[in-house]
Amino acid sequence: MRTAFSSTVQYLWAASAALQLLVFTILVIRGLVRKLPLFTAYIVLNLCQAFLLYAVYKRFGNLSHAAYLFAWWAEATTLVARAFATVEILKLAMASYRGIWALVWRLLAACALFVLICIALASRGDASWALMEADRGYHLIFATALVACLVLIRHYFIAVEPTYKILLISFCFYSCIKVLLNTVFQGFLYPQYIHFGAAWQIVAMLSYLLVLIAWAAALARPIPLQSAPQVLPAHLYTQISPEINFQLHAMNKQLMNFWNLGEPRH
Amino acid sequence: MNYSLLAFAGLGVLLLAVLAWLSFSRLRNKPEAILSSRAERECRHISYLPHIKQALSDSDIDFLKTRGSPSLLKRIRKDRRRIAITYLEALRSDFEKLLHFARVVAVMSPEVEVVQELQSARLHLEFSYRYYLIYLRLVFGVAPSQALGNLSDIISALTVRMETAITELGERAALGAEFSPFNGGGMDAS
Repeated sequence: MRTAFSSTVQYLWAASAALQLLVFTILVIRGLVRKLPLFTAYIVLNLCQAFLLYAVYKRFGNLSHAAYLFAWWAEATTLVARAFATVEILKLAMASYRGIWALVWRLLAACALFVLICIALASRGDASWALMEADRGYHLIFATALVACLVLIRHYFIAVEPTYKILLISFCFYSCIKVLLNTVFQGFLYPQYIHFGAAWQIVAMLSYLLVLIAWAAALARPIPLQSAPQVLPAHLYTQISPEINFQLHAMNKQLMNFWNLGEPRH
Repeated sequence: MNYSLLAFAGLGVLLLAVLAWLSFSRLRNKPEAILSSRAERECRHISYLPHIKQALSDSDIDFLKTRGSPSLLKRIRKDRRRIAITYLEALRSDFEKLLHFARVVAVMSPEVEVVQELQSARLHLEFSYRYYLIYLRLVFGVAPSQALGNLSDIISALTVRMETAITELGERAALGAEFSPFNGGGMDAS
């Protein structure tokens, strides 16, 4: 075998593949494939990525150009799949709250646009640099968008089914860890630490193993059918909301007048 | 030291901290429970308005200046400050209840306007900023006595109409839910 990975990394790789297989089996057995098709596709893609990467590394070596290209393309594909899987879970969690889902959807779109603009500006035409920044940027914006959505969900007192909550939080946790890993390892430890690559892989894979264990545990539990929440007629919001905002503005003005703090903007 | 790396690391840690808070904290109420709770919709502090107005009226201070001792005047001023702080806290409580109600209406509506939601978020931020500014001034005693005297005028502008309006809104919302085609029932339908 022409790979330069340590045996620890290889064991972790095998454990990760086994856990992904377990998650996939749970999805099939519990009949969740139809409910979570994009999440299932993400797990399958990840499994394929692991097996194919292993084959490519074995055939060409992990330091070859072919392996480099394949690894980045595979990573890009799974990142896109992850984004779709996350949107799917968010949509399922908020299916009953159409108005708020429309807000979340816009928030996600704005975040995606923001990351694209940032990467385009930061890379300045340098493709390989853009690739590295894109990976960290993706994870950063992915985590930020997801945290923003979770904050919004909490802001509006929406009770999300625990299984979906665990799936979303795990996605977010993994992205946060990747941002920290890429920053701390590449930025601070790389110049000093000779085994930087192996250490990076071990920590990244350990955190992914944690995520997989959380997913397996969450998906193994039955997901109760969501009861439809009470819905108000659409016209009520358009009547009530401006009125409430007017009242809030009036109270704000009272406070402002307390010591003439300055006129609030309309 | 590379500042952009520090910024990335800081953001990562911050996101993890927020995530931990979101993961381990629980929601206090469900939207439906909040909407059907009359106590949540009411701004009860408004009903104490006449008493507060009386306590803060300038005539009391003028009377004490002519008849009372300086120590009594000092104590009264201190009490007035305490009343002002209590009122401020009550005003905040009323504001938050109204905001709470607005969110519940939004979450139960099939369509939500971004502009309205952003406006309510902006008002919340503005209110919080002003509230803490005034609160600190009162706590540290840098509030001019004139301002304390003016409090009665300020609160009288915040009329009892608000309490009536909020109760009415709650009733309208509940009525709307009862006849909503999405529900197949009233507020208790599941």
